[in-house]
Amino acid sequence: MQHFPTIFSITESEIDLNDLLAKITLPSAGAAAIFTGMVRGVTARDNPHETKYLEYEAYIPMAEAKMRQVADEIRERWSVVEGIAIVQRIGKLYPQTPTVLIACTAAHRDTGVFEAARYGIDRLKEIVPVWKKEVGPNGEEWIEGAHIPKAGE
Amino acid sequence: MNKVKILFFATIKDRAGQKSLELDIPSQTTVLALKEKLGVEFPNLKDSLKSVLISINQEYSFDDAVIPQGAEIALFPPVSGG
Repeated sequence: MQHFPTIFSITESEIDLNDLLAKITLPSAGAAAIFTGMVRGVTARDNPHETKYLEYEAYIPMAEAKMRQVADEIRERWSVVEGIAIVQRIGKLYPQTPTVLIACTAAHRDTGVFEAARYGIDRLKEIVPVWKKEVGPNGEEWIEGAHIPKAGE
Repeated sequence: MNKVKILFFATIKDRAGQKSLELDIPSQTTVLALKEKLGVEFPNLKDSLKSVLISINQEYSFDDAVIPQGAEIALFPPVSGG
């Protein structure tokens, strides 16, 4: 069985895309799908507003365990995926700063690698215990997700 | 008795006014019974407890689960990372 790199972490440091990409790129890789989310300073959709910064908090040991679970779920669904990196930054983060990164590598781009990365960020937002408090011109508010996990999730 | 560690996060931490506590609970206590006990000790949490998520030893758990010896239990709202 070939060894594929899996990286998952909660960090207070800047997310280093080049370093992560190098760590999940095997000689057989020809494609990487990378999703990164950042703090949006100006929101136009739904409830238009401005954001001064977000403050992230995590239950670190469970968050890292659930990130590993997300990586395992990706591999169950897309066996072509080679390397996986999942990183969530926490602390006080200002607009235009990357907060999360999911990257998957594969031999080719038409292998499902885009869908794998998409699945990774969607699942992270459902089951990885991280929360953010939004601070804007009119005060602060905890953001709550909508997903209620079921047994075994 | 069973000595457990309880952690609070996000809105639950703010409402409880603390991050964590240790608690002695009877053996065979369920998650539901623990929530009721916490609702008495932290009246500010009462409204949150209906929709709170609970983990035991870092796995999601539900009302009828029996709390194991020395468990680490966390209470938090639906997650909002990313």
